[in-house]
Amino acid sequence: MFDEKLTAHMAELSKLSFTPEELTSMTKDMTDIIALMDTVCDFDPEVKPYALSAVDYEDLRADEHSGSYPAERILENAKNVKNDSFVVPKVV
Amino acid sequence: MRYQPVMGLEIHCELLTDSKVFCSCQNEFGGSENTRVCPRCSGMPGTLPLLNKGAVKLAAKAGFATNCTVHNYSAFDRKNYFYPDLPKAYQITQFESPICTDGYIDVVGGKRIRINRIHIEEDAGKLVHDDYEGISLADYNRCGVPLIEIVTEPDFRTVEEVQDFVVQIAQRMQYSGVCDARMEQGSLRVDVNISLMPYGSDEFGTRAEIKNLNSVKSIGRAIEYEIQRQSEILDNGGEVVQETRRYNENHDDTKALRSKEEAHDYRYFPEPDIPPVLFTDEEIEEIRKEMPELPHKRFERYTEEYKIPAEDAKLIIAQKAFSDFYDEAVSAVPEYKMISNLMLGEVSHQLNETGMSIDEVRFSPADVAKTAEMAAKGVISKGSAKDMIVIMFEKGGAPEDIAKENGFIMDNDTSGLDDIIDGVLAAQADVVEKYKNGNEKLFGFIMGQVIKAAGKGANPALIKEALTAKLK
Amino acid sequence: MNLIDLRSKLDNKEIGAVELTQDYLKKIKERDAVINSYITVCEEEAIKMAEKAQAAIDAGEAKPLTGIPVSVKDNICTEGIRTTCASRMLEDFVPIYDATAVARLKAENFVMLGKTNMDEFAMGGSSQTSYFGGPKNPYNVSCVTGGSSGGAAASVAAGLCAAALGSDTGGSVRQPSAFCGVTGLKPTYGTVSRWGLIAFASSLDQIGVVANSAADTGYVLNSICGYDENDATTSKKPQGGYTSMTGGDISKLRIGVPKEFFEGTDEEVKNAVMKAAEFYRALGCEIIECSLPSLKYAVAAYYLISSAEAASNLSRFDGIKYGYRSGLGEDYNELIKNSRREGFGKEVKHRIMLGNYALCSGYYDAYYNNARRIRTQIRNEYASIFEKCDVILTPTAPTTAYEIGCQENDPVKMYTADICTVTVNIAGLPAISTTCGYDSKGMPIGMSLTGKAFDEKTIIAVCDRFERDFDRRECVL
Repeated sequence: MFDEKLTAHMAELSKLSFTPEELTSMTKDMTDIIALMDTVCDFDPEVKPYALSAVDYEDLRADEHSGSYPAERILENAKNVKNDSFVVPKVV
Repeated sequence: MRYQPVMGLEIHCELLTDSKVFCSCQNEFGGSENTRVCPRCSGMPGTLPLLNKGAVKLAAKAGFATNCTVHNYSAFDRKNYFYPDLPKAYQITQFESPICTDGYIDVVGGKRIRINRIHIEEDAGKLVHDDYEGISLADYNRCGVPLIEIVTEPDFRTVEEVQDFVVQIAQRMQYSGVCDARMEQGSLRVDVNISLMPYGSDEFGTRAEIKNLNSVKSIGRAIEYEIQRQSEILDNGGEVVQETRRYNENHDDTKALRSKEEAHDYRYFPEPDIPPVLFTDEEIEEIRKEMPELPHKRFERYTEEYKIPAEDAKLIIAQKAFSDFYDEAVSAVPEYKMISNLMLGEVSHQLNETGMSIDEVRFSPADVAKTAEMAAKGVISKGSAKDMIVIMFEKGGAPEDIAKENGFIMDNDTSGLDDIIDGVLAAQADVVEKYKNGNEKLFGFIMGQVIKAAGKGANPALIKEALTAKLK
Repeated sequence: MNLIDLRSKLDNKEIGAVELTQDYLKKIKERDAVINSYITVCEEEAIKMAEKAQAAIDAGEAKPLTGIPVSVKDNICTEGIRTTCASRMLEDFVPIYDATAVARLKAENFVMLGKTNMDEFAMGGSSQTSYFGGPKNPYNVSCVTGGSSGGAAASVAAGLCAAALGSDTGGSVRQPSAFCGVTGLKPTYGTVSRWGLIAFASSLDQIGVVANSAADTGYVLNSICGYDENDATTSKKPQGGYTSMTGGDISKLRIGVPKEFFEGTDEEVKNAVMKAAEFYRALGCEIIECSLPSLKYAVAAYYLISSAEAASNLSRFDGIKYGYRSGLGEDYNELIKNSRREGFGKEVKHRIMLGNYALCSGYYDAYYNNARRIRTQIRNEYASIFEKCDVILTPTAPTTAYEIGCQENDPVKMYTADICTVTVNIAGLPAISTTCGYDSKGMPIGMSLTGKAFDEKTIIAVCDRFERDFDRRECVL
């Protein structure tokens, strides 16, 4: 059952912030959505979960370096740059 | 109350590949900010990881170096968490199906430490904190540097076991070419999980994880501090909190880290962009065959076959390049002890003095072997052998030439020696008198005077023999 | 005009590449103010590319796509041209590299007219979640185009490009193609490189083609398909020759019709698709009733898998490296929360929340892992259908295009409408949608043909055979 506490926890994991009204409306939406998702819960546990088919070790990328990008290209879409680095506000 | 400490280790090793683990940027330490970065390792939208074959190979070698099973099938997962040094907001790692499992290493006291797993993962970038402006600057050069994480079972009970294990891992990784294992540079990083329980109990207490340990010494000090801290909590009836703590070398203490604890749910799931890797038995076997002799095997060879004292053998194997040098020298001339003495003596002394490493010196293992051989055969004296090493450090050159040019070749022709001895005995008549009256210590002085008079090439053994005869 | 004819007109100098491009740009100017199929029109670049194409044609170096004006969905990276994913988050994001599909078309000197509208981050079936306002259906501008490649489908239907690149995660090429009365091909997973496709759900995403005919979709696919060293999930199987079977005899083929796909489908849709089945039967094809029993789990499994992957894929948008950066937030945590709050629309937030829920410890097994089990099961059920059938015929969507504003705000209603398309992505199979009729309001009805993995040429041929006899209506603009 989705309640506002769970929504708030999911919002924290998702790094999304909501106003109290949005939280209420999101909780309602999530309740409806999860009700639809619940159809999977009783599925046969004997079936093996799908995994991507494997590739052979031989086919992996050879270990050879090639050129990187110039720093200014890497940084050109960032809104805040200093000393050729991305500016991050203090991590609390 | 005294408690039984219980410890387990998580060791991260940066792999010695040419390129990063999921892109072709160069894998190298340092560099100016964001210059070894591409759209892939900076996590730009639309990019996909490309697994480096070399990283998989080195991870398998790490497994062989630690008696692990290397698996035919291994797969990658995403570990999701937000941190500004992690541009994709997930770390690609191996969770469900790691490449190696179930290994072990024997440590001091013959105790076997079990290794749970070794998995491949990517390193994160670096944050430089600007306290004045209250910001951090993110540099992604280290993003995507290939790592393995070696995870042990909680089998350690003493600091010595932990330290021995770390030293052995560092050496084995270095020998296998997996990692240069420089703790001070962070290419090998050790996290210690530690908990206490009453002696006799078999129920583990709550553990704390200690990070930021950059030397074997700090590992010891951090563990001692943590045992003290947790003991005090338990003695006072408190509870140890499960948390990550950071060791501070300057204060010699550990402090709890605040960040990212509140949302400690990594939401692992299979990485959809990287197909699992399939190793055939033949491929695994081929990699196994490439494994060099490991340090503990070399130690056995040195002590058992070469009869080198254990302490000396330990010193030789500590650095692979040094040990390789020794091996090459003894394969040229099997003067095990003489070469060991020269290398641990004057060679090590000169390396320390000059700050050079063994692969930077001007002479070859064969040169050291030749020098040892000359000393062993009595062509030069042992003292001259040391002098020759010094000269080889300074100028290089063939040992035979150096010996000739510097008059180190001992003169085994005793003709004329009688005259020299007679001269000295006459000049030092009073000393000789005292010697003959029972002051035997003076033999050395007289001997020295004869050698001085005879010159550099004099053979001390022959002089001693002749002098002893004369003084009878 | 189909692409083969266009190719020969260009090669015979009956049309100039620049002139052709200018024609399309003119039409875009006239019509797209209403249709809104493009987010960005690359007028200058398109002319330059056309000039280059003409030079190649003049030098006798024309390749299949040389000089052909194509639109590209706005979640496919184009170097130097903003790529928004129809999101405020990427409103001014300019990629520093080209997607492989685009690079391969550039290598043939194609002409890129612009970047097309879509649901934000391709999450939706109406294209109405676009930050730039949704596109309109060229058959009736009060109706949705479908989605998420709604702009791609509308741009083809309205004659605003010769063909379009879209992307299909759960029906995003096929469903809008059905709604807009054109043909849409979703290739086998691993056929087209995902390098440069801004990921929604990595294990399901596949670049596809929207065009005026089945043959045209194959024609474009020939140029973008194939192994790419930048994408480890692309297949090394030999590819191409996708139109090699068109015009051939298909009368020996066995066509499976899985009954579950018709439950809950509009009568008009059902009748039109069954009529198509009759068409094939009349040709001599064997029509086999078959079953995909796990269809009832498909929508939930699809949303759990795709949202889990999306939650992870979209975590990189934090306002720091690229994309929208909020002015609010004293510390890192607050800054990213506000950037994501202001940068993402509501539906994207639903998916991120759902995805994290599905992956959370305590819920992982019940939701995400069961979805993975269902994925195995659905793949197995397809495999057993393909033991006795060569292609599978289904409706593309349970309804035709509906009026804008009538159901886009009800997530559950929107999700369940994907029932006919998601299983193909879950199983990684190829499928093609084409128009098989019109409803009483004149809106196109789509049918889909699903093939065995890497057997695009068969479904293209079967689809092409139908299109040859079907009278497709032009939309009136």
